[in-house]
Amino acid sequence: MNWLLGGGFTGSVLSFLYPVLRFVNPPAVPEASVNEVNAGKVAELKPNSAKMVKFGARPALLIRVNETEWRAFSAICTHLNCTVQFHEAKHQIWCACHNGLYDLNGQVVSGPPPKPLEEFAVHIRGEEIVIARRA
Amino acid sequence: MKLLLAVWAALGIGLAAKDTCLDCHSVLDGKLQAPAAAFAGDVHAKRGFHCSDCHGGDPNAEDPQQSMSRAKGYLGKAPRTAIPKVCARCHSDANLIHKFRPQQRVDQLALYQTSVHGKRLAAGDNKVATCIDCHSVHDIRETRDAQSPVHPLRLPSTCARCHASKQHMASYKIPTSQFQDYQTSVHWEALAKRRDLSAPSCATCHGNHGATPPEVSSVAAVCGTCHVLFEDLFNKSPHQPVFAAAGQASCIVCHSNHAIHKPSTAMLAGDASVCAPCHDKESEGGKASAEMAGLIRRLDASLEKSDRILERARSSGMEVSEALLRQTEAKEHLVKARVAVHAFNPAQLRKPVEEGLAIASQTYSSGEQALVERDRRRLFMVVSVTMIFLTLAGLWWTIRRIEQNRSVIP
Repeated sequence: MNWLLGGGFTGSVLSFLYPVLRFVNPPAVPEASVNEVNAGKVAELKPNSAKMVKFGARPALLIRVNETEWRAFSAICTHLNCTVQFHEAKHQIWCACHNGLYDLNGQVVSGPPPKPLEEFAVHIRGEEIVIARRA
Repeated sequence: MKLLLAVWAALGIGLAAKDTCLDCHSVLDGKLQAPAAAFAGDVHAKRGFHCSDCHGGDPNAEDPQQSMSRAKGYLGKAPRTAIPKVCARCHSDANLIHKFRPQQRVDQLALYQTSVHGKRLAAGDNKVATCIDCHSVHDIRETRDAQSPVHPLRLPSTCARCHASKQHMASYKIPTSQFQDYQTSVHWEALAKRRDLSAPSCATCHGNHGATPPEVSSVAAVCGTCHVLFEDLFNKSPHQPVFAAAGQASCIVCHSNHAIHKPSTAMLAGDASVCAPCHDKESEGGKASAEMAGLIRRLDASLEKSDRILERARSSGMEVSEALLRQTEAKEHLVKARVAVHAFNPAQLRKPVEEGLAIASQTYSSGEQALVERDRRRLFMVVSVTMIFLTLAGLWWTIRRIEQNRSVIP
């Protein structure tokens, strides 16, 4: 009986201490992956304009092409990881670091970027805009 | 079927009902069989062309005397000097080529005639590259076919077959180290290691059919095809007129041509400085290059320091995503500062460097605050666990005392 009680007590103490130790010394884990973020309200963006949205620890570029058309891309240039921006006059996505240009499908138009921007899906839920990683 | 035959007839190709060239050559030996064996994979075979479309003759005739009769237009193996024109019979004919590929260019021969290869061939030099030396012969594939010798991943080694051969190049008195140098470059790394098909290789800078070394005056424009901002800044810099007057090939002076390595601040200051051969340390140029190197190193070091503390905070389970996002912005200023070097004016670097330093300082503070918060949480956890154990110990001791008192009472 004592053996059973002692074992149960030791087990309880260990199961109490384990999360405490893990809190003090957390395991090395990669950054949690974000699959979907709320990007604000429809009324916040005029047609032919864009804004930066935090997608986890990375920037995303949300573009309102016209009244009904929206696009969202990872805002990280595929050349040297600079942040790209929407060029309203050119209707293109521009990287100021090396003058890389992408079209509104994220495809490279000119400059040194080696590959297209990662595209996100844009969902309009009532007044809310949600951008999500594509499956 | 009738429609297909009508289209084929309109194209004027592949009218042979049978192909006695292939019938005979496929049962011959050695080098007489090789073309027939290879031709099955050739893009021309797949598009309905026959041996006779290049070599002439009558592919319907069973008798070799007839099928290879000069009277029937048999040309045989074209001499090397005639190859570009043989290919151009179709490839310069827009009406024919565009029936297969509407966007295919038809100026290859015109370009070839402007190339060093084309000019030398016209002068009677049989050793220079013609169409078949790059595209192969009888098993010609589309450029996008990974087995094609001119597929982007294979092009450098195709050019190197001649250009890296000391024996082949001996009479031209040009270096043969280009391929070896290119294999040490950032461009090769992107192409061969990262499999980036858009990475520059031989044809990107020299042209393909019109292959020619860029002239000294056009080097910046060639590099500027991709490195647009660098070209703009260089052209406005004090180096541009000086290099032009001295006949120096702009970008190449500092970055080399084929062995283009990843640039670093070591190129600006120190023993490996590329500025040092022209600018004495104490000269205005020497001081400017040292200052630019100092500015970039300062921002680089500051960013590394912030990276380290943010990583410690992140791996401790603290939420620092906002600071990490800001850190990418700071790194962008570092990239911009490196681009601004090409104006060769330290004043143009100060703005991006100062902006980057300001952000790096903020992100470092965020990291510090996150670590302070982490330590505070750990301390509270240790205190609360200690309190719980003290309470348990107190309960145990109290119960024990009560039991002892009970045993004393008679």
